[in-house]
Amino acid sequence: MKAIIAVAGTVFAAVWQVTVAPLFPVWNITFDFVLLVLVLVAAFGTPRRAMVCIPVAALAYGFLANREPGLLVLAYLPLLPLGLYLEETRVPLNHFGRTALALVATGAWARLLLVLGAVVGGASANVGFVLFGVVLPGLFLDLALLSLVYLPLRLLGWSGQSMSLSRGGYYSSL
Amino acid sequence: MIGLALFLALAGQVGVLNPFQGVFLRITSPVESVLNGVFRPVASLLSGAGEAGNLRDENNRLRLENEALRNQVGELQQNAEDIKGLRDALNLTQGDQSVKYVAADIVHRDASPFTDVVTINRGSGDQIQVGMVVVSTKGTLLGKVTKVTATNSFVRLITDTQSTVSAEILGTGADGSVKGTPNRGLSFDLAQGEIQVGDQVVTAGLGGGFPRGLPIGRVASVSGTSQDLYKKVTVEPGVRIGTAENVLVRTDFIPESLGLED
Repeated sequence: MKAIIAVAGTVFAAVWQVTVAPLFPVWNITFDFVLLVLVLVAAFGTPRRAMVCIPVAALAYGFLANREPGLLVLAYLPLLPLGLYLEETRVPLNHFGRTALALVATGAWARLLLVLGAVVGGASANVGFVLFGVVLPGLFLDLALLSLVYLPLRLLGWSGQSMSLSRGGYYSSL
Repeated sequence: MIGLALFLALAGQVGVLNPFQGVFLRITSPVESVLNGVFRPVASLLSGAGEAGNLRDENNRLRLENEALRNQVGELQQNAEDIKGLRDALNLTQGDQSVKYVAADIVHRDASPFTDVVTINRGSGDQIQVGMVVVSTKGTLLGKVTKVTATNSFVRLITDTQSTVSAEILGTGADGSVKGTPNRGLSFDLAQGEIQVGDQVVTAGLGGGFPRGLPIGRVASVSGTSQDLYKKVTVEPGVRIGTAENVLVRTDFIPESLGLED
């Protein structure tokens, strides 16, 4: 049931991303609600659920915005390995810190990859603009959005979960 | 997961996903309508409040322009009467009766600093085809249809960084190409001729992708010295592309792209 809610939330985030997000740009950058929902699924749900939601998000967002779903899968893919890495290397950060770091790193990667996709398609871009006009403002927006959402969710009683896949979990469940 | 990404990329290129995309767009359109109905008025309100200063300046400029245009209209009306008289005398039909439009609503928009694509609620069922030209309700060029499903079409706006339109300055013959720039701006790469701030930019029709004479906007700034080979020219679109809600698709114009324009 929770998995279905996660998938439905991801699809709704994609619809929200193309209808509402472009109406409220900040510094000509739009908030990435799809990424936010994926991070929340990984941080408050399970990594397996996030693994299902990433291709769902890519397909839904790709269909709605006429973007390459394959490119979007690659854009959001680093979220889970990053979350796992931050947890296993015992970086001295709490759950919010790890979630925020995974979010901003994935957000920066996603924006860079989408810019690269546009450049390959014929757009002209200079490094300075990509860095200061796209990546850094986007990073700030992602962080601001997560900060706005994270605390209310914790106050609602949601507890932060581990982002590492429990090894052998699948076989032990058989 | 990377294999899945490659599979999706391949499937997207081959077109296997197109039917699913059409169904998905149809399923999600009621949700989009509700979200648009709720949030568009809020965005318009906020946009208007935030741009009060700019709007005041624009209003003053438009008042002056309006006065000049009223004077021009008077002269043109006189000319039109003369032309009508001459046409009647020569027994010619007046006006281009072959231009056909289909009205459409913008249902959503994918805007980032490098892309500017909108989705409209008309598709192949409404005789929309890839390559058709999309204009504002007042006739200013907005973009071109890049993909069509049964009920929706995707339009790449001229402010998208992948858009290029061959253009000319009205009346002077100076020509070049208008390109989308990051953050949804327009630049004019001048191939030849002189250019000044305020000049009207229209489509040149070269390359066959756009009909000739469609208004694009006006020259907003020209920078660079007389020594420069190419001056940096920015163009202000003739329509507020960001807030457009309704568009017209010109269905009579079948593009003959020679690969010069996108």
